[in-house]
Amino acid sequence: MSRYAMVIDLARCNGCNACVVACKVEHNSPNGIVLTAILEAERGQYPQANRIFFPVLCNHCERPPCVPVCPSKATTVRDDGIVLVDWVKCIGCGACAQACPYDQRFYVKDNRVGFPGAGEGFTKPGTFKPPRGVVVKCDFCFHRVDEGLQPACVTVCPTDARIFGDRDEPQSRINQLIARNNAWSLLPDKGTRPCVYYVG
Amino acid sequence: MPTAAPTPPEPAQAMSGDAWVPTVCMGCYNCCGIRVRREDGQVVDVEGDPLAPNSQGHLCAKGKARFLDLHNPERITTPLRRRNPHKGLGVDPQWEPIGWDEALETVTARLDKVRREDPRRLVIAHFDMPGYGISKAFGTAFGTPNFHWNRADYCGAAPHSSHLLLNGSFNAEVDFDLCNYIVLWGTQLGHIVETIPLHAAHKLADARARGCKLVVIDPFCTNAAAKADEWIPIRPGTDGALALAMLNLMLNELGLVDRPFLRACTNAPYLVRADGHYLRDEGGGKPLLWDAAAGHAVPFDTPGADPALEGEFDTPAGRCRTALQCLKTHLLQYDVEAMAHVTTVPAEVIRRLTREFCAAARIGSTIEIEGRQLPFRPAAIHFKRGSGAHKGGFHTTLAMHMLNLMVGNLDVPGGQRGVNPVGPFWNVQQDPDGMLVPAQMITKYNRPYPPSEARVPVTLDLHELFPAALFTRGLYAWGISEPEKFGIDYTPEVLLHGRTNLMMNSHAPEAMAETLRKIPFQVSFTGFIDETAEFADIILPDAHDYERWDLFPANDPYAFITPGPGEWYWLMRQPAVQAPPGVRPWTDVYLELAERLGIRDEMIAVGNTIWGIDPRHHLTPGRRYSVRDIAERQARTLIGDDFSFDRLRETACMITGPKSIEQAYPRPFFSARVPVYFEHLIRTGEQVRAVTDELGLDWDLAPYTPLLTWFPCEALEPDGDYDLLIVNFKVPFHNFSISAENPWIDELSVANPYTYHVMVGPRAAAARGLADGDRVVIESRHGRDEGTLKVTELVHPECIAIPGTFGHWARARRISGAGKSTAFNRLLPPPGLTRIDTLSGQIDTCVRVRLRKA
Repeated sequence: MSRYAMVIDLARCNGCNACVVACKVEHNSPNGIVLTAILEAERGQYPQANRIFFPVLCNHCERPPCVPVCPSKATTVRDDGIVLVDWVKCIGCGACAQACPYDQRFYVKDNRVGFPGAGEGFTKPGTFKPPRGVVVKCDFCFHRVDEGLQPACVTVCPTDARIFGDRDEPQSRINQLIARNNAWSLLPDKGTRPCVYYVG
Repeated sequence: MPTAAPTPPEPAQAMSGDAWVPTVCMGCYNCCGIRVRREDGQVVDVEGDPLAPNSQGHLCAKGKARFLDLHNPERITTPLRRRNPHKGLGVDPQWEPIGWDEALETVTARLDKVRREDPRRLVIAHFDMPGYGISKAFGTAFGTPNFHWNRADYCGAAPHSSHLLLNGSFNAEVDFDLCNYIVLWGTQLGHIVETIPLHAAHKLADARARGCKLVVIDPFCTNAAAKADEWIPIRPGTDGALALAMLNLMLNELGLVDRPFLRACTNAPYLVRADGHYLRDEGGGKPLLWDAAAGHAVPFDTPGADPALEGEFDTPAGRCRTALQCLKTHLLQYDVEAMAHVTTVPAEVIRRLTREFCAAARIGSTIEIEGRQLPFRPAAIHFKRGSGAHKGGFHTTLAMHMLNLMVGNLDVPGGQRGVNPVGPFWNVQQDPDGMLVPAQMITKYNRPYPPSEARVPVTLDLHELFPAALFTRGLYAWGISEPEKFGIDYTPEVLLHGRTNLMMNSHAPEAMAETLRKIPFQVSFTGFIDETAEFADIILPDAHDYERWDLFPANDPYAFITPGPGEWYWLMRQPAVQAPPGVRPWTDVYLELAERLGIRDEMIAVGNTIWGIDPRHHLTPGRRYSVRDIAERQARTLIGDDFSFDRLRETACMITGPKSIEQAYPRPFFSARVPVYFEHLIRTGEQVRAVTDELGLDWDLAPYTPLLTWFPCEALEPDGDYDLLIVNFKVPFHNFSISAENPWIDELSVANPYTYHVMVGPRAAAARGLADGDRVVIESRHGRDEGTLKVTELVHPECIAIPGTFGHWARARRISGAGKSTAFNRLLPPPGLTRIDTLSGQIDTCVRVRLRKA
């Protein structure tokens, strides 16, 4: 069995945003929607001030609060832990988006991609294009993972700041990273048990 | 109706069918290896090429996003002719489509007339690395010296020249594998900005993870500063003052310098006469140094000599000092406390930075690599355009670089390094004075050293007045506007332009419009009608780089092959898809224009040399060639006679072998010396004085001094209520102005707290009653723009930071425009005497502005 997770090494992320674009391409993310983002924050006072780059995405929680609230049972959890939205079942009510403590679900009001004036816009062949009226989120690029590839944001990252792997493999690199670096995850008090970990 | 292109591009191998096509990115100038996904004849994705050492399967945001540009509905697929004779900002050119034959006939007729009357009246403006060989060969065959007008305002005329003098190469980097202390000074190397970005980003992240300290000196807290252990904000334009204060500390207080290196590998021991020139052997021969053991002066290359580094000595030609002694005495004026006041960097920070750098350099230590004992200097200072783009930029960049030289870290393990000064078919040279001369292959422009002779300009970039500069491309606008001032007896008639948006990248667009209006006939090769193409008379639809072949290698080794240990790798650009009907790569159009003008054979003859083709593979006069044909000959020369395009199926990257240790760490293996004292500038300055006197020009000769000096920018002087200094920085997901029209990159920019904002500190905002999010007007004495304010602790309190090259206004380029972003360059004046470094030609981007609510 597999149990997929991601480690984000904040020390390696330099805020280049390649992951954000790679994700948009891979998911035909509608204009204005990103399924992973680099948040920025400022710390300190001049001249001891600094800037922080903080990648965020769906945490693929072990106890996902988005699942029980879905009235149409559109959100499901695969055996390998990937949390998915079935757009056929999704009615776009937004209950999941409200339940997600990480603000990582997005309602598709307009699904056009790319240049204004280019109609429906760009669609990457062989990938899914979200219809209007559904909720989208990071799906750990399950279509790539199922083919033995890494998620698009992991492959593209120039500094290898994102590491994807299987928690059920004891010697996997992410298990080592999590164990050695006091990895932490977001909002532990919510009891969601995220599968996205931060180090560095 | 428009006709299709007369000669469609030759098909790439396996041009049909769905495939990953390996090729080379042109999202910036760095030429990373990529694989482009083609399905149903369309580009639908792109990845880094895992087999290319410069990308290793990774990609940056702009490289990933830019295939979307092929799906831009504004793309031009037919030549256009202007109907409205009036040219101006916001003026509708009233385009009408015409056929390729008619377009090329019109262009040829105009070029033919110019060529017969005075070929110098043709000006060529492209920013296209592998394409330079085509425009240069065409321009040379045509008979004009005016090619390569492009983004020099952004480029590093000063830093490149410094790297050529001290490393023997064009670009520079750091030995990330071994370095323990890196100072990035006005640059973001390793943060997807600057040289070999994907590789450098990975290496720098690795270095930081193993404990390498990173210090960033910059007026704004850039992405690089965000990742640094220490951000040191500095007042813009004072970098030279800081560097000279540090040098003063190193030489006159701490004594922390690499004395054996200074003796053997620099001109530090050369004896300098009272008039500033070297003391030479009888008859003006070799420079002499003081042999401490013998007690008299001997030629610099005397075996067994014991060169004195410091002191004054009586010689038959009078009392002489060593070059290092001259520098040491000269540096005393750069008192640390005084320079702290100038730079706003506290004196204790200057002292600590200097001590830390010198200590980290481990002067005197060695390391064993491949069985050889080499100097080990794991500390490096890296600088680029940000700190160099100022009045006195050459001296400033040399002063920063001199800190490297003093610890002996140039091109040795752990240190600062040039990008491949020594390669498999080039090497640094040594002149009769014992000084380093960069390989001819690297200095393909003007040579900073040995300098050329100053002359009355015949070229519109005025480079003849800058004999010790690498290039002066930013000065075309000056030469075109006032040729008579410089003794130039012709005016430009035709401009061939493409892939460089002069309107946005230079200075106030109103001034650039004046300049462009002085050129009666403009041809723009472009896929999209940008601000500069709006001034064209004829537009020829250019191919995307995913649709074209290119000269080989795309990644010039002096700039874009990873320096240090590794392999020699060469990337070839090949098309992933056919260009749409009616669209042609500008490079192939140049070859056709040469044929139409009857200069094809001249172009080929010149090209055989420019393109570095082995005589066995020379192109033959009387035949028609495509860019692909030329690339094939170049590849046979470089890769071997057995090269075939079949090699490009899996990767566009060809590896010819490992680097030797002499190529990876060249400095310990050659004897040529590098300067601490720039004696050549005395004579060159006298020549420039003679020429400028002849022309009756008011000229600034102060930088022609052999001793490193800080020259304050004009903008450091108070000027009424213009009380803020503008500072520009690069954004890792943007490249110049072209990326600003990509919807995905635009979206990142909208979401980012800084990219489309202008930044001031809380005190500057409060003093003007301004708050975060306010719309503001930024005005200099040269231009104005509006912006959205971001109040932040991340900027020097005397500055307003404006990122990137944004704010398009052309009719077909509206994604980043319409009040969304701010255009830094709008605030700059056109080049003029007070705004340039008269030594390097670098343009000073320091400008005072006032800020108020919109």
